[in-house]
Amino acid sequence: MKKIIKILIFLSFLLGFSGLAYLQERSEEGLVIPNEEIGAPEIVYNKPVKGVLFSHKYHVGELGLSCESCHPKLFEMQALKAQENPDFNMNALYQGKYCGACHDGKMAFASNTKCATCHIGVKGLKRLEKEMKTGKK
Amino acid sequence: MIKRWFKEFKNLGNEEIEKIPDEERREFLKIGLIITGVFAGGSLLSVVSKVAEGLATPEELKNNYPYKPHYSMVFKIDLCIDCERCVEACNLTNQVPDYGWRTMILERYSSKAVDQKRIFLPILCNHCNHPPCVIACPTKATIKDSQTGIVKMVSYKCIGCKTCMTACPYNARYFNEERHAVDKCDFCWEKRLSKGITPTACVEACPAGVRIFGDLSDPLSEVYRLVHQLGKPVWVLKPETGAKPNVFYTIS
Amino acid sequence: MNLGKYLPGTKASRFLLGLTFLVFLISMAFGIHAMHIGYRHAYGVTREIPWGVLISGYVFFVVTSTGLCIVSSIGHVFGVKSFIPIAKRAVYLSIITLLAGFMVIFFDLENPFRMLIWNLFSPNLTSNIWWMGTLYGVYLFFMSLEFFFLLVEKHRSATIAGLLGLISGVAAHSNLGAVFGMLHGREFWYGPYMPIYFIASAAASGCTAIIFFTYLGYKLMNEKMERAMEISLQAVGKVWALVLAILMFFTTWKLITAFVGGEGKILAVKELISGKYAFNFWFFEVFLGMILPFIILLVSRFQNLTHMFIASLLAFIGIYFMRVDLVVLGQVVSHYFELSITDFPTFLSYTPTIYENMIIIGAIAFTILTFLIGEGVFKGHKVEIH
Ligand code: HEC
Ligand code: HEC
Ligand code: HEC
Repeated sequence: MKKIIKILIFLSFLLGFSGLAYLQERSEEGLVIPNEEIGAPEIVYNKPVKGVLFSHKYHVGELGLSCESCHPKLFEMQALKAQENPDFNMNALYQGKYCGACHDGKMAFASNTKCATCHIGVKGLKRLEKEMKTGKK
Repeated sequence: MIKRWFKEFKNLGNEEIEKIPDEERREFLKIGLIITGVFAGGSLLSVVSKVAEGLATPEELKNNYPYKPHYSMVFKIDLCIDCERCVEACNLTNQVPDYGWRTMILERYSSKAVDQKRIFLPILCNHCNHPPCVIACPTKATIKDSQTGIVKMVSYKCIGCKTCMTACPYNARYFNEERHAVDKCDFCWEKRLSKGITPTACVEACPAGVRIFGDLSDPLSEVYRLVHQLGKPVWVLKPETGAKPNVFYTIS
Repeated sequence: MNLGKYLPGTKASRFLLGLTFLVFLISMAFGIHAMHIGYRHAYGVTREIPWGVLISGYVFFVVTSTGLCIVSSIGHVFGVKSFIPIAKRAVYLSIITLLAGFMVIFFDLENPFRMLIWNLFSPNLTSNIWWMGTLYGVYLFFMSLEFFFLLVEKHRSATIAGLLGLISGVAAHSNLGAVFGMLHGREFWYGPYMPIYFIASAAASGCTAIIFFTYLGYKLMNEKMERAMEISLQAVGKVWALVLAILMFFTTWKLITAFVGGEGKILAVKELISGKYAFNFWFFEVFLGMILPFIILLVSRFQNLTHMFIASLLAFIGIYFMRVDLVVLGQVVSHYFELSITDFPTFLSYTPTIYENMIIIGAIAFTILTFLIGEGVFKGHKVEIH
């Protein structure tokens, strides 16, 4: 019995640590901040460059875009999936892929303008990380 | 001094087109309308460090840029996305400790701003032509290089009085414990330029083409062209201190 | 060993001697520890505010030293009879306060030993801080020389050394003012005001110090003051009142003119008079440092020395805060405040650590300690009036 408990404790530690490591890695890769109201998170991409914010709250909540305008044509419903693709960069956006489908200067501001709007940068990233830790909205 | 001012003033008055290099003239005519506007307004020029001289003859050019190469950096600040690859590259190249920085990105944010609310502003040592730090240093531990115009540190002479840090209008200096001296950006002179590697680490690392580095005394260089164009505003930070910085800001 | 021979005076004076010696040792321990762990960890100064209370303390002590030199020179160099009795003590005090200042700056400089070498071999003649340091060295030499000549009663030589000391002291001191006044990146300091203000304020500090220490010396040694000395201090009181009036005048115009200055200056002055530094400014600097001593002086009609002593004690406290405000306020406005930066607040903050404060306290203890030793060794700095 004791042995089993020991093993269990050991296993739970292992799980906990690997979970922690996983979390760590995730935050290296980017940030996913859940939003209960909308049912879809705020996402910060860290690849290829750090600190690009996509906000469901803004696009769905404030603009009222329907899920179908993005899912599944432009994006899969899995956070930080897009940045696995080698072509998730500005050129792709300029060619009308990903965010560039709308951010083309007609439907929404063009991808080659207002850089610091999508790009919240390392500063924005750190601020959000801190807010997430302290549990502030 | 007054004479030079007067000359600049005259240059503003009658743009002596025949004296301008060919390439320059084409640019000049292309944006002729804007130029007229700028000249009439005048105000823009007063914040630009050297635009009037941009339309000068070669020998005047030499007077204006006493260094060869006259190292300078131009920022297209609207492109900056604060990915901080420049900062990382700088820290790595120059062994900048975690408590200091040689270059950093400032975030300007105003909720009252129309449209775009945020813009990033990269800063580093401005390698001024009249560097307040060099004037203030008691032991010549910081010098203006007579060849390149780079403001360098001579670490072993630094007594650590920190006057240069208070003197610098740009917050470009910090005390480095490992070096036992004040440390600052030297346009990567120590680690790259002196070994024939160009450009600086931060310029190389920038993915967005924000930073442009080059010889301001060379009319063919990109920095020269960016600083001497009139179509877009070119400005320097804190011109009122009279330090005559060699780091310029413009937009893409 | 018969220390008692050198240390006459009351029990209180011996107690004070022991106490200041102890405090001095403790502060030295703090200073050396700070040096050991690195000033970045020990002090509250930052990259943005690199000059803290240690620089203020340095300014405080050397201002006092220069002021004492000025006061001593009135009698000694310029031959005003009533000022002669205080002169010798003033010269001695000016030497020890300068040393106290050097002690403070020693713990502020990151590489003080390099200074000895490179100040000599790599001088930068455009640097006010170089001139200041060098001239203070010269000043120390001449003041020591003057004191020596006074001891051996060579009054002609002493006068010449005193004159040279005065010249180098005033030059050094105005250069210290210029260290601040010529930093064109710092609007709060920038301008010709600083060197002039520094000299005026030195005179005020000098009067404060001589009244304070002379009175204290007599009390601690339990001696009755000679009539000549009383007259002398009363004369100093009058000069002091005049200088205080000048200082108030300076301060007033500094504030008024600031409001037509650049925005950085306006911000700094607003912070001084109505921001975080308002209490420092109005209570310590203005009330304790200038107005209250002035009123006490007027009320005592320059007669009651006890009142004047109290005034000088209050003024000393006020003057210390005056120096802190002067040094720190020049740096509190963030470099890029105009650009609505989120990285730095408009007003940066600085709080001195225990290390910094202990070093200041140590320098004060050093001053009192050496003053007491001086009283004993030099027998109350008596001067024969010829
Ligand atoms: C403007 C485009 C857009 C709209 C509209 C949109 N989404 Fe998304 N959604 C995205 C992007 C981009 C991602 C991230 C995909 C990636 O990183 O590869 C995403 C990811 C998700 C995810 C995955 C989150 C996770 O934690 O893995 C969910 C769930 C989701 N969206 C739900 C919705 C729902 C529900 C709606 C409609 C209410 C919606 N989205 C509308 C762009 C959109
Ligand atoms: C379905 C179309 C669509 C897609 C896809 C889309 N956006 Fe948008 N986005 C919009 C519209 C519409 C606006 C608002 C119009 C405007 O401001 O020009 C907007 C505005 C924004 C804003 C401005 C928010 C603010 O607070 O002003 C940001 C930032 C932004 N989008 C980022 C992104 C990013 C990053 C992506 C890709 C991951 C993306 N968007 C994909 C339609 C889209
Ligand atoms: C519509 C939102 C949006 C705007 C506007 C935008 N970007 Fe991007 N940017 C992205 C996304 C999404 C990525 C890919 C994710 C990542 O790198 O984190 C990206 C990646 C990048 C990258 C790295 C990949 C590459 O292409 O090299 C750079 C550099 C970049 N952006 C620069 C800019 C600049 C400069 C501007 C302004 C001219 C700009 N961006 C404007 C969304 C935007």
